[in-house]
Amino acid sequence: MPTSTPASPSTASGAGRNGEPVYQVRGMARIYGEGTAAVTALAGVDLDLFAGELIVLLGASGSGKSTLLNQLGGLDSPTSGALRYRGRDLAGMDEAALTLFRRDAVGFVFQAYNLIPSLTARENVALITEICRDPMAPEEALAMVDLADRLDHFPAQLSGGEQQRVAIARAIAKRPEVLLCDEPTGALDVHTGITVLEAIERINRDLGTLAVIITHNAILADMADRVFTLSDGRIVHARENATRGAVRDLAW
Amino acid sequence: MSMLDRKLRRDLRALLTQALAVALVMACGLAMMIMTRSLILSLSTTRDEYYSGNRFAEVFARLKRAPHSVEAELSAIPGVAQVETGIAVQVTLDVPGLAEPAVGLINSLPERGEPRLNRLHVRAGRLPEGRASRGELAVGEAFAEAHGLRPGDTISALLNGTKETFRISGIVLSPEFVFEAPPGAALPDNRTYGVFWMPYRELATAFQLYGAFNSVALTLAPGASEGGVIAALNRILQSYGGRGAYGRIDHPSHRRLDDEIRILEGLAIAFPLVFLSVAAFMTNSVMSRQIALQREQIAMLKACGFSNRQIGAHYFKFSLGIVAAGVVLGAAGGIVLGGLLVDMYHLFFRFPSLEFRVDYGVLGLAAAVSAAAAFTGVAGAVRRAVRLPPAEAMRPEPPARYRPSLFERFGFARWSGPSLRMAFRNIQRRPVRSALTCLALALATGILIVPNSFRDGIAYVIDFQWDVIQRQTVTLSLVEPGPERGLHDFRHLPGVVRAEPFRFVQVELKSGAITRRLLLQGLPAEGTLSRVIDAQPRQLRLPERGIIMSAKLAEVMRLQPGDTVVARVLEGRDREIELPVVGLAEDFAGTAAYMERHALNRLMLEGDRISGAHVVVDKARWGEFVAAVKETPRIGGCMIKDALRDGFRKTTAESIGLLQKIYSFFATVVAFGIIYNSARISLSERARELATLRVLGFTRGEVGAVLVGELVILTLVALPLGLLIGSVFAAGIITTVNTETVRLPLVLTPANYAFAVLVVATASVLSAVFAARKLAEIDLVSALKVAD
Ligand SMILES: Nc1ncnc2c1ncn2[C@@H]1O[C@H](COP(=O)(O)OP(=O)(O)OP(=O)(O)O)[C@@H](O)[C@H]1O
Ligand SMILES: [Mg+2]
Repeated sequence: MPTSTPASPSTASGAGRNGEPVYQVRGMARIYGEGTAAVTALAGVDLDLFAGELIVLLGASGSGKSTLLNQLGGLDSPTSGALRYRGRDLAGMDEAALTLFRRDAVGFVFQAYNLIPSLTARENVALITEICRDPMAPEEALAMVDLADRLDHFPAQLSGGEQQRVAIARAIAKRPEVLLCDEPTGALDVHTGITVLEAIERINRDLGTLAVIITHNAILADMADRVFTLSDGRIVHARENATRGAVRDLAW
Repeated sequence: MSMLDRKLRRDLRALLTQALAVALVMACGLAMMIMTRSLILSLSTTRDEYYSGNRFAEVFARLKRAPHSVEAELSAIPGVAQVETGIAVQVTLDVPGLAEPAVGLINSLPERGEPRLNRLHVRAGRLPEGRASRGELAVGEAFAEAHGLRPGDTISALLNGTKETFRISGIVLSPEFVFEAPPGAALPDNRTYGVFWMPYRELATAFQLYGAFNSVALTLAPGASEGGVIAALNRILQSYGGRGAYGRIDHPSHRRLDDEIRILEGLAIAFPLVFLSVAAFMTNSVMSRQIALQREQIAMLKACGFSNRQIGAHYFKFSLGIVAAGVVLGAAGGIVLGGLLVDMYHLFFRFPSLEFRVDYGVLGLAAAVSAAAAFTGVAGAVRRAVRLPPAEAMRPEPPARYRPSLFERFGFARWSGPSLRMAFRNIQRRPVRSALTCLALALATGILIVPNSFRDGIAYVIDFQWDVIQRQTVTLSLVEPGPERGLHDFRHLPGVVRAEPFRFVQVELKSGAITRRLLLQGLPAEGTLSRVIDAQPRQLRLPERGIIMSAKLAEVMRLQPGDTVVARVLEGRDREIELPVVGLAEDFAGTAAYMERHALNRLMLEGDRISGAHVVVDKARWGEFVAAVKETPRIGGCMIKDALRDGFRKTTAESIGLLQKIYSFFATVVAFGIIYNSARISLSERARELATLRVLGFTRGEVGAVLVGELVILTLVALPLGLLIGSVFAAGIITTVNTETVRLPLVLTPANYAFAVLVVATASVLSAVFAARKLAEIDLVSALKVAD
């Protein structure tokens, strides 16, 4: 049975989450622009995320989900507040250090897939494995997302779901510690969406990767360990599921 | 190969035609640079090797006559390394198969062994040597070729009044006559002027000069001052009728060769500079577009941990691919064309062998320059790309803001359809892009003007020099200056319609430290045959006093009308006269100075003397005329104007003309490249928008009209600008062909402008048609789907 708690502090470490958090976020804010044109995308977020968790972020459009994910992935730096990754201060890192952090620790999955159109599925994965320390073989990563038979297809020859699975294979091939997915199923139909989410879930389970998924579909929350809802740059609701539902069983 | 490199290779392949267009433009610039620099290298190393191998002298002098004993005095001049003395005499020739008389310069060969200086290179046969050598001479290759002479043939010459027949022992080349032209003439006439060599004893005996010499050549010791040696030489030779010693800079053959190299040097910089800037601009526009298209890819790469350096390097490599293609094509083109051009130089520069040498240093430099040009073109775009925060790049670019165009606000909209209106809005939406495209089109127009201005300049020179200035058929010169009465004889030659006398005197003009040797031409005050024309062009009347000179001569001597120039007479009594410069004349072949003939006679302290006449001959009686001239022993030379014009056509005009054709071809390629590239880029920028229009129900024609309309509007704006730019380019580049021996005027004709407009218009139409065809191929669904 899912148990709901009111919003904040969402830092409480739930049952079964032992040891140090992977992410420790305190009072993190992100403000774009200056003066009257300033937009507060994140207005003080507190969060602890642990290894092996599957997290779902919900919230209305413009609530700050992508912004939060970008901070976690080192694509952007918070304006104020603390952001620690395994004890290291991400907020204070320079561009070069962030690049290395992204290279070694983070796997991204974007809504728009962002594959290189001139490279095949295998090559798109190999593009990333070439620059990491301990990658798996591109073929292995593609097999994990059930694409072993589409290795040499170009993105234009793949369906949307297949493209997104290539993107997932690309993200996991480096054996990342965290997998950050921004609306991975946003452009997909239900059936394809399920295949993609199953792939993410399997990686989370088999590799123990911390996975954070942004979605507009509240039903998907049931597959998560924990669910956070954002509104106006704050976490307004946090929920913990005692058991994770299988993706296939979710009522789409 | 890394995956990024694989991406690079495929991206390049997808962009092949555009990359090729840029590479071709770059190749054109490089080919010209490599071609001209290699020609310079070939000419100058061949010349230097020839000069040192055959011991070309450094200082030269002519005199009346000095006994052999003086040679020791000359050798003793401090700074002199080696001295060679000998005899050089001008004779009248009777060449088999040539109707008119020809002039020969016969030089002596030492009695024993090779000359110390100015050694000959035997092309065929042998030198006239040994006991059997009587009645033999060697002939310079240019003259021999013009008359098909071979060793064993015979030729007659009038030696000191006696006609003698000689057997040709061999065909030779001399470092003194790389360019075989009569003294004082900027142009060769290999039919009527030849150079010969025969043993000293025979020549000296015929001219009663045995035991004496009348020409000196010498080399300088390392570090010696040429000026000092010339002064010392002049002092010694003064009492022997010295006519003024001079260095290589005044040596006609050396001078002409030097000027050719100078022209090439100018062209080697000016043209490539323009083309490479254009290539840099094109690289920039291609790369900017490519980077804009790959905005999301760049963001993804950064998100996945690629560093700015890796991404920057990736795009630099992209442009490097283009540069590499350009360098390979350019080098190959430059080497092939250079090889062809070098063959042309055989026509008028006589070297033992003129081999084409590729200037590999310049090849390296050219590669570096174009890489630098491409990189500057790309740097901005790449910097912008890597600066983009990855999170930002994930967001689509904000939609462009459109406004009614100026054009519409002026109320023209009523007459324009929606397509034209959209074209105007597109132009106004990206003012910088549009301005740059416009500038590129203008450059394409401009570079087309330059080569044709060369062609028109040559045509103008041919008309001006030989129709406006010189209207005689023939210039007859006397063996020795004689009294004016001689003019009657000229008038009575068969076929002569008109004759005007002249007095030509070898002088050395001095202004400050600058000296020049030339023929001072004494002409009738307002002659009708050989005329003095200014830049207007307007005939100048020669005044009672003073001198009129070529504007170019005044320029190099830093003289202006009103200044005084010192003329040292190099024949008869050695005199120095101060002359006011009273006017500047316009001419294009060599430089000249003019005086009224009687004024010149007075300065020479001689009576009414003439050295020849310009005559007009009735073409119908040409045969009779030349036969009579040949029979007149007092006539030493017969210069046919059309032959000179031909000489110009075959040498200077041909070399510049060939360069012009090559450049014109390149400019056309470049113009097409620029325009095609512009069309491709605007097609790529608009693909999505135009596809949307199609989905909304616009016909293919209407949509095509938006694209074509934009190109047409930009072209219309660019054309006048381009014509202006081209005129400025032409003016700049033509100054490189502004030497003392060869000059070109800046001539810009309507035909030239029309050609440029035509090429640009054709290229625009073809590119537009191509773009419209591409547009038809665009798959509507995918064009809308792909975030662009
Ligand atoms: N680079 C930026 N510059 C200015 N404002 C920004 C920028 N990025 C995000 N914002 C603003 O910050 C707020 C949060 O944006 P964010 O992208 O995080 O929303 P989101 O929750 O991901 O929305 P969606 O579900 O539509 O993707 C929005 O108001 C957005 O306009
Ligand atoms: Mg978002």
